Amino acid sequence: MKKPFRRKSIFSPSPAAMVLSYLVLGIWAFVVLFPLYWYVVTSIKLPIQVIEGPFYIPFVDFQPSLHAWRYIFTDLRNDTLRPYFNTVVISLISSILALLIGMAAAYGLLRFNYRPRLVAILMFIGCIVLVIVAISFGMPWKLALIAGIVLFIILLQTIGRRFKRSLGNNDIAFWMISTRILPPVVIVIPMYILFQRVGLLDTKTALIITYLAVSLPIVVWLMRDYFSSIPIELEESATVDGASRYRIFLSIVLPLSAPGLVATFLLILVFNWNEYLLALFLTSSRAQTLPLTVAAQNATRGPQWWYMSVLILIMIIPVIAMAIVLERYIARGLLVGAIKE
Amino acid sequence: MKKPLLWLLIMLLTVSMIATFSLAGCKKAEEAAAPAEEEVAEEEVAEEEAAVEKPFEGVEVNILTFTGPQIAEPLQRRAPDFQALTGAKVNVVIVPFSDLYMKILTDMATGTNSYDAFVFAPQWMGDYIIPGYLEDLTDRVAVDEALEWGDIAPFFRDFSSTYEGRIWTIPLDGDFHMLYYRTDLLEEEGLNPPETWDDYLNIAKIFNGKDLNDDGIPDYGSAISKKRGAQAYWFIYDIAASFIQSQGTGQGTFFNTETFEPLVNNEAFAAALEVYKETTKHGPPDELILDVGDTRGLFTSGRTALSLDWGDIGTLAIDPEISVVQDKVGAAILPGSTKVLDWDTGKLVDVDESTAPYAVNGVNHAPFAAFGGWSGGINIAADPKVKDAAYAFLSYMNQPAQSNVDVTIGKTGFNPYRISQFENTELWVEAGMSEIAAKNYLGAIKDSLESPNMVLDMRIPQNARYQQTVLDTAIAQFLAGELTIEQTMEQIYNGWEEITEELGREAQLESYLGGLGVEK
Amino acid sequence: MMKVKRQTQGSAQTGSGLEAIPSLNKRMHSLVMRQDRLAGNVFLLPAVLVILSLAIFPLIISLYLSFSSFRFVKGGFALKFVGLANYKKLLIGSAKTRFLGVLANPSIFGWLVFIIIAALLVISLVLYIRRGQLSAGGLFYRGLAAIVIGLGAWLLVRTLGPDGRPGTLIITLIYVFIGIFFQYLLGLGMAMLTTQALPGRRFFRTVFFLPLMITPVGIAYLFRMLTDTTKGPFAVIWQMVGLSGFSWANNPWGARVAVMLGDIWQWTPFMFIVLLAALESQSIEPFEAAMVDGANKWQIFRYITLPQILPVSATIILIRMIEAFKIVDIPNVLTNGGPGTASESLALQSYMYWRALDLGGSASVSYMLLITVTLAGLCYFNLIHRAVKEKE
Repeated sequence: MKKPFRRKSIFSPSPAAMVLSYLVLGIWAFVVLFPLYWYVVTSIKLPIQVIEGPFYIPFVDFQPSLHAWRYIFTDLRNDTLRPYFNTVVISLISSILALLIGMAAAYGLLRFNYRPRLVAILMFIGCIVLVIVAISFGMPWKLALIAGIVLFIILLQTIGRRFKRSLGNNDIAFWMISTRILPPVVIVIPMYILFQRVGLLDTKTALIITYLAVSLPIVVWLMRDYFSSIPIELEESATVDGASRYRIFLSIVLPLSAPGLVATFLLILVFNWNEYLLALFLTSSRAQTLPLTVAAQNATRGPQWWYMSVLILIMIIPVIAMAIVLERYIARGLLVGAIKE
Repeated sequence: MKKPLLWLLIMLLTVSMIATFSLAGCKKAEEAAAPAEEEVAEEEVAEEEAAVEKPFEGVEVNILTFTGPQIAEPLQRRAPDFQALTGAKVNVVIVPFSDLYMKILTDMATGTNSYDAFVFAPQWMGDYIIPGYLEDLTDRVAVDEALEWGDIAPFFRDFSSTYEGRIWTIPLDGDFHMLYYRTDLLEEEGLNPPETWDDYLNIAKIFNGKDLNDDGIPDYGSAISKKRGAQAYWFIYDIAASFIQSQGTGQGTFFNTETFEPLVNNEAFAAALEVYKETTKHGPPDELILDVGDTRGLFTSGRTALSLDWGDIGTLAIDPEISVVQDKVGAAILPGSTKVLDWDTGKLVDVDESTAPYAVNGVNHAPFAAFGGWSGGINIAADPKVKDAAYAFLSYMNQPAQSNVDVTIGKTGFNPYRISQFENTELWVEAGMSEIAAKNYLGAIKDSLESPNMVLDMRIPQNARYQQTVLDTAIAQFLAGELTIEQTMEQIYNGWEEITEELGREAQLESYLGGLGVEK
Repeated sequence: MMKVKRQTQGSAQTGSGLEAIPSLNKRMHSLVMRQDRLAGNVFLLPAVLVILSLAIFPLIISLYLSFSSFRFVKGGFALKFVGLANYKKLLIGSAKTRFLGVLANPSIFGWLVFIIIAALLVISLVLYIRRGQLSAGGLFYRGLAAIVIGLGAWLLVRTLGPDGRPGTLIITLIYVFIGIFFQYLLGLGMAMLTTQALPGRRFFRTVFFLPLMITPVGIAYLFRMLTDTTKGPFAVIWQMVGLSGFSWANNPWGARVAVMLGDIWQWTPFMFIVLLAALESQSIEPFEAAMVDGANKWQIFRYITLPQILPVSATIILIRMIEAFKIVDIPNVLTNGGPGTASESLALQSYMYWRALDLGGSASVSYMLLITVTLAGLCYFNLIHRAVKEKE
């Protein structure tokens, strides 16, 4: 159809606007790129060149040296590649899982009406507290967990029936995002203890689960908004045609919200890729991730800027590659024409 | 519409699979290479020792320390040699320096015990010994002749490694603060290295604003780290200790040994605060965000005439990749004071034989062994055989054959701590120092180590709360001009007293005395 | 446990404007309802279970920690229950000047600002009551917001005046609000510019996403390098301007600005990418219609674009606000909270206590943070967010 042409005419800026746009964009691009250039340049400097003063251009201002790159890749080979591999695996898996689970929840919160009963929630929390207290007094965790679940179910069926006050979707959503309020420093030790009890310390699994739980709220919140921008008439007409909820979700809602999906995926991927504190505590040697090696360059001698620069640069390369590939999906045009069908 | 997403997922999975396999292959290649090296080493050793059965065959030791190359590098380098000798495999696990303390503590306190040994700062000993997490090494040291325990400088042997009379760590590094100065600059002006803090200030004043490295930009007289949360809370005590402690290491600097009252609200501390603030006037304007790495950099790039540091400037200055002041570096014992504190009155009195028996030329020096000097300790909960192997490794690292070489290499982060190490200048000259510089550097170390008035860092349990939460914050506020001297002293005093009350005065006093090696 | 109701006529609980489907007959309706109940749970439960299982345990443990004091004893460590002692220390005890700040009399300007804010709050409350559509929830949240904003303003005015010194609470609030303000504007601006049909816009889009890709610790060190006025890249400019004897690190606001610059650089891409996706998801018809009607750029923005991105904006500001309160890496590496405590954030204070093994103190600061953010979040969510959503 003629849509592409139409689109161009609406969003083509006038020459004056174009110049202005390029100017502004150029300035911000410089602001973004200059620090990265500084990283590149620092990674090929000798320590004395970093300490002595700003040198800007290799070969002109100073003689570059590959000592930092050599150190990171040959001297520290396994200590660099293993965290690299861990980071890739952990963040990809946790982000994909978070996206899948989170978008389902987002859709649920948008199209269904949940009414969790307040008393059920309070009893649930109460049972968990009892379980924790029991474990801290020495009860094996599996036993305590089962006992807690049984207790909860019993209480629910008896007392729970009497109170009817319930919460709504928005409360659930707010609760989800509120789990992100506490600074990581406070939850680090409890998480450490949690994973220690189940024997998952220093494994990639522990980090995957943790990152999953931590990124879910963001996915849910962002996808809720993206899903809500899809006109409801599409779904209704599909329902009339006899499609099930799942079908509607998979074949109508998801494709139309591709820009949002991609943007959200990139965001949580980046968050999980770069997470530091939890990775520091839940891993020791086998499951270490790259942010740890970056932070570790702050030795007792002071930060070793040259090694740090190398590590940062190799850290962002895969993410950049993924962003370049996925960026095209955040483009307009996927919604065009769908409504008219 | 689904297809592109699907393809994307497939692509991502493929990429990660390829990455896995290539890395697995890489690992295998390295493992294939390592045994080959080991075989060669083993053959050589076997030839010399003629088929000795390896005592720790099959034993694996996990040692935790912070990311190097300092400290970690020599451990990693010598691990294969040790394995060739004894059969024990040593895994050096590294974490970022700023988080090492918490990592060790959580590992032991929660019973995880994934590490068998640690190389850490003796200052943390109190927190690890009281709850009973560290292994007592006294008996092992007593029967270990190869260790040459007597060769280790008295301070590290009798104070730094001990607590309540027992030995808990094996020193690997002799860390304490020294004064560094530009020999060429002082010579030009016909000055001697500063002996007192007033001398220090005078010299700093002379050189501040001059161009000291011929680049046309004015440089600084003195550069001391004053960044908050970095090392400022040690450097203040470089100055304060020379006013407060004069009767020897066992006297202590931080608290009154009878009442456990903080010794921070008196004329001595006030004088120290004044000096500390005064040095800012003759230093870089952004000293408040300079940590010790930055001030070292200033010195090695020739931009400051004076500085205070651990032993690193000496070894860093030789490296042409890092320094432009090779052979222009002088080291000396920390400047001292001509007045010391009368503990009963809180006033400063002149130095004489009774007030400061260890004074040199009428100046009381108190070299501060800040942080302690990296040492190895063993987790009490480790397997007995593993503990033996771990001890053997630490002993191996400490023995003169290995240690004397490692302390001359700047990269190792190991500074001299054995008496034999600063008598022999050969190795240093081989490493790149001139004869004169080596004598000067080693002489400064010797003066400091032989001083009976060396200062032990605070080792009571939760010393971090005293030093980092209270002292460091107050000093930072003082330097920023938010508090006057009186207010600063009062804030530190109250803050420390509050913590002491919370943790129990008697218990803290007992630990303090135990750490000083004082019989109560 | 959770009852799931299919949307029926008139009950638009989620505010998405769902209308009834009149054509369903009764049998199909009940079938669909049962299926829907199951589907509803299938959609939501996995997420709820995952978050629940990992969120509750740390929350409870850290709550207990905030009421206790950590100590080493022979044989291990002990947690002594001390009740509200840690909180008292923060609010009225030895840590008060660090947490709340030094409270002094406000300047004339400060008084003015406070009176204006108080007046606005009272006026909005009165207007709301007079409108007549009172609801318990609405009144409650408006009252809560008034109290919170009032207290905040009072604290702000008293600590930012002469002789006053802001504590970590106020400093964090400054970081959050000024930071979000600039991040949103910049992010929106860049997003709008790159939705235009400019050749090369894909390059800009990818480039603008870059700062977010660097691990926060790395960014902190990056800015440490950049803001170094002796050996950083701007040292030359700094010296040329004659400031070589002066360091931003000695000035409280200099330090705060440095931290905020790093924060804005790091987080603008977050706003950028979400707003970009939102802008790109807009349907094209309204634009075409507006062009036909002869609307100019500003009108299109004001009446078409803005309403469409308002919901996403509300969400993203809430998310970013919650994250921004936790700012810790940049102040930690750049200034370590200095000079004095001028650039220290709440999370940094918590982290410093934690590093010094004052676990109780650390947990109590974090819980004060939790309370503050929850209050602010609740008010924001129930007043602004809902309003924006309902306008859809």
